[in-house]
Amino acid sequence: MMPSFSYVRPGTLQEAVQHLSAKGAVVHGGGTDLLTCLRERIVDVQKVVSIQGLKDLYGVKETAGGGLRIGALTTITEVAEHPVIRERYPGLAQGAAEVASPPLRNQGTIGGNLCQKPRCWYFRGDFHCLRKGGDTCYAPFGENQFHAIFGSGDICYIVHPSDTAPCLSALNAEIEIAGPAGRRLLPAAEFHVLPEDYVMQETWLAPGEILTAVRLPPPPPGLRSTYRKVRARRSWDFALAGVALALQFDGDRVAGGRVVLSGAAPVPWRSRPVEDAVIGKTLDRQTIAAAAQAVVADAEPLAKNAYKIPLFRGVIEEELERISRP
Amino acid sequence: MAKDSTSIYYTEGLPVPETPAAGKAPKPWEQTDVIGKPWPRVDAYERVSGTAVYPSDILLPGMLYGAILTCPHPHARVRRVDTATAETMPGVRAVVGPETREADLPWSYRNVKSKIFPPVCRFEGEPVAAVAAETPFQAWDAARAIQVEYEILPHVSDERRALDANAPKIHDGGNKVKTETYSRGDVSKGFADADVVLEQHYRTEAELHTPLELHGCVANWDGDELTLWESTQGVYAVQSRVAETLGLPLAKVRVVGHYVGGGFGSKLRTSRYSIIAAVLARRSARPVKLFLPREETYLSMGNRPPSNMTLKAGVKKDGTLTALAFTCLGTGGAFPAGGTSLVDWQIRDLYRCPNISTECTDVYINAGPARPFRAPGHPQGSWALEQMMDALAEAIGMDPVALRLKNIPTVSQGRQGSPPYTTTGLEPCLTEGARQFGWAEARRSLGAAQHKGPIRRGVGMAASVWIVGGGGPPSTVIVKLFADGSANLNMGASDIGTGTKTIMAMVVAEELGLKPEMIRIEHADTGTTQYATPSGGSKTVPTEAPAVRDAAVQVKRQVLEMAADEMGLPVDDLAYEGAAVASRSRPDRRVPITGIEGLRKRGVVVGVGHRDPNPEGKSINPFCVQFCEVEVNTQTGEMRILRFLSANESGRVMNRMSFDSQVIGGITMGIGLAATEMRILDTEQTGKLVNRNWHDYKLPTALDVPADITSAPVEMPDAEANTTGAKGLGEPVTIPTAAAVANAVYHATGIRVTESPIHPLRLCSLLEQQTKEG
Ligand SMILES: Cc1cc2nc3c(=O)[nH]c(=O)nc-3n(C[C@H](O)[C@H](O)[C@H](O)COP(=O)(O)OP(=O)(O)OC[C@H]3O[C@@H](n4cnc5c(N)ncnc54)[C@H](O)[C@@H]3O)c2cc1C
Ligand code: SF4
Repeated sequence: MMPSFSYVRPGTLQEAVQHLSAKGAVVHGGGTDLLTCLRERIVDVQKVVSIQGLKDLYGVKETAGGGLRIGALTTITEVAEHPVIRERYPGLAQGAAEVASPPLRNQGTIGGNLCQKPRCWYFRGDFHCLRKGGDTCYAPFGENQFHAIFGSGDICYIVHPSDTAPCLSALNAEIEIAGPAGRRLLPAAEFHVLPEDYVMQETWLAPGEILTAVRLPPPPPGLRSTYRKVRARRSWDFALAGVALALQFDGDRVAGGRVVLSGAAPVPWRSRPVEDAVIGKTLDRQTIAAAAQAVVADAEPLAKNAYKIPLFRGVIEEELERISRP
Repeated sequence: MAKDSTSIYYTEGLPVPETPAAGKAPKPWEQTDVIGKPWPRVDAYERVSGTAVYPSDILLPGMLYGAILTCPHPHARVRRVDTATAETMPGVRAVVGPETREADLPWSYRNVKSKIFPPVCRFEGEPVAAVAAETPFQAWDAARAIQVEYEILPHVSDERRALDANAPKIHDGGNKVKTETYSRGDVSKGFADADVVLEQHYRTEAELHTPLELHGCVANWDGDELTLWESTQGVYAVQSRVAETLGLPLAKVRVVGHYVGGGFGSKLRTSRYSIIAAVLARRSARPVKLFLPREETYLSMGNRPPSNMTLKAGVKKDGTLTALAFTCLGTGGAFPAGGTSLVDWQIRDLYRCPNISTECTDVYINAGPARPFRAPGHPQGSWALEQMMDALAEAIGMDPVALRLKNIPTVSQGRQGSPPYTTTGLEPCLTEGARQFGWAEARRSLGAAQHKGPIRRGVGMAASVWIVGGGGPPSTVIVKLFADGSANLNMGASDIGTGTKTIMAMVVAEELGLKPEMIRIEHADTGTTQYATPSGGSKTVPTEAPAVRDAAVQVKRQVLEMAADEMGLPVDDLAYEGAAVASRSRPDRRVPITGIEGLRKRGVVVGVGHRDPNPEGKSINPFCVQFCEVEVNTQTGEMRILRFLSANESGRVMNRMSFDSQVIGGITMGIGLAATEMRILDTEQTGKLVNRNWHDYKLPTALDVPADITSAPVEMPDAEANTTGAKGLGEPVTIPTAAAVANAVYHATGIRVTESPIHPLRLCSLLEQQTKEG
């Protein structure tokens, strides 16, 4: 069952940050991931700090510059259904709609979704692996069908579980952070940690820091965004392979943009090879076929996840085809 | 008594069935008023509103909570168990382990002896020690504080390697449980006679039952009498095992299991936790509630064994099957638990075939023992046989339905002496199912050849027979008719969620002309209801319903005798009409039931019913044929099931509503086998179960199951089978599902998926291979 912990719900950001600066303090957003982590004893916790009393963390607002600020406590359902998000950043709304199941989307927050713990079953089970401070990774010689084909650094093979993170990264969003040293902004694409940088942490949040909001820049002209996810069953499941596209079109031609994969790597994985294959081109059959080849060109599958190679090809092919027809 | 009081209970003018003379069985129902109609559950309100008290809802004054510390290794010797710290922790009232004298009890799996707390743990999840404390949190904290020193032993967790020379031995005699063979005719001659011979290897993965309610019980002692509230499919089965293990008379063990939140076979067996709860309760002199966490149920509460099968089949150009040769390797885990049980039954019995050989080898691995899982063995064998039939049909250019129609048996060839079936529903299920599904048209217009784009559609079908499903003795049921005309039905059987109670109330209603809501049901309690076998094997309706009918008939007979006395008429001149007893010869002479003096004086008439034996020399079996349509995205390997139709011959349809629910549930479960479920052990490293929760162990969700499911009963009331004409349904409905899906995927893509489950992990690789091979 649960370890013992104290629970606080401060009313100001400053108090929250103070509580969080203590050892063993963790943020409680919607709790959908945190509670299972506590039950499975994969986080060592002494104090649970609920941020639900922080008013500034709620709601979606348009910013002065024409972008959008999504408070960290905005639920996944709100993100999926928000009319402005659906209209201007449909890829993000689609990503949110693909998360988990309706009850989890109603309770889970966007902040929590970006900060959630990985789903590697060794990590979640009673295996003392590298990410939990142990001295071995069980994935390379174990049951690795759901693991990474990129970016493991041969250290840790998790895939980042979030469906909203790749969309935010593709849309060039920024993460707003508050902490003991004040506020700072980080590009969404730089928010998550590769194993080679640090294997025991998934985000670059420092002790005491809270993710307060996500900021989306105004949509550039010709922006089309989509998210496509393939899972082992049709709901309540993480991505086997997914892709967030945010491409700017100039007529039929792709003028710029980003392609970010889910289910691929320990962080939302920006696929430069696909970007290189499509930017400056029209999405004809040849370009799409080249992009589909490119997506897995430098993949490193493990014994049981080689199916991801044809799968990513198929996903890229299907999704580029779809985005080419607005 | 006032007429209006009868109308509360009786449906006026309902013709009730003729009361047979003493010693005679009642005739089959002809016209029915209640039976066969869609009837909502008698306990629907309780279930939906939450007032139904499941065993896991029981709260007793002073109740403690139990927790079992289990072995985290698949194979380990328990060197030392130190409970000193745990015993001093807050709230702890009892700690038991291998050293505790009253917990040093035997436990066995079939003929292999073990202990409640075994010195060598042969699978992850075997009990090592247990605690009872004031709160569940204190119990688990204390369990975690027990120090255990293990000597980790080498393990084998893949049955395909269990017989390797260097595989660690799980029991002294080695890792082979047994090899069973069966044969008839001459297989090599059969293959020589064939125009086409095909051979294929198939595999189905192990599945976990995953009932919604966890496994567990509440144990309470009153002096030397033990009461267990247990989530079980059979209270009498638990009573006998617990009494035997604890050395108690049966009469001193009362097991109550009014509601069960699902079992699917995993709650047919008695478990060590019941003994541990009883021991903890005795030691602490307090009631103890002990339910396993989900992870532990996945480890130790059973599974559908994985099956590795090879099937060789011969067929003539005209579709006549000439020979089937089948082998299977399976495992029931670390103890004998039926690892290959009934896997070959479809091969032996479903189609007419003179030459058959089967060989099934069951081995040990270091994993939790299997338990019966909805139609044990059958869906696995069906996965092989029905895909093979599909391939044979293609090879000889015949329609899959036509091939099956060509090979319809009328006798149960798999059984000694080939007894005839009482009814053979296979043929009407095939023809009627195909007609309602629109098979011929769908087969023509869909399929790999018809479509060019990445999205392909196809249809597939599969047929099946269930080995039992006729039910049989023993069963004793009591129906009590009260002075006001309302009735009480008292039976030992459990309603495991299938609607048993409702159907039995319908039988009483039909027979006595009562409104079903005027019947109160007492059931599943060894203290107050009669002996019944566990609810499993799709035998509960055909076993209990005739006994219920008999009990109701006994009531009618007694009432008629009372009325005859009072009316001064011969008993055989009287007819039981429901609300009243009437003279056949003198229509003016009628007495309302509530006006019968004898009943009013005595207050109750008690009818005791029994289940008569089944007919000799006959086999009673339900049949099921299913059809489905799927869509495959060939770019991503995603498969979507668009619609399903199930044609079931299960004798008489007792309650159309729960009949259809069983069909939907069975297909849903079959889709789990076909497309989403598999137990995954860390075979190469620790041997531990890695998918231990509801996210990693993937049950199908609402989106994986089509909204379009048609239940198409093929009703052939089976008068020979029993007095209600009903046969089993709950298991047949899940047997052919997975094979039908695989056949539809083949039709859509030209890819034969021989290993379950059919999810993108598998399909992507197969599609890529297909592209490469052109
Ligand atoms: C069965 C299941 C299936 C799921 N499937 C999917 C899926 O398919 N796709 C997907 O994207 N997600 C999936 N999820 C994850 C789900 O979306 C997350 O659990 C949810 O978004 C987390 O939000 P929360 O507010 O409940 O976070 P919490 O549980 O409260 O927190 C999660 C983690 O983030 C930290 N945290 C939370 N908010 C902040 C903050 N503002 N600042 C700093 N740290 C913070 C917490 O300390 C904790 O470590 C699934 C979850 C479950 C349980
Ligand atoms: S992949 Fe990462 S989380 Fe999983 S076992 Fe290896 S180190 Fe641990």
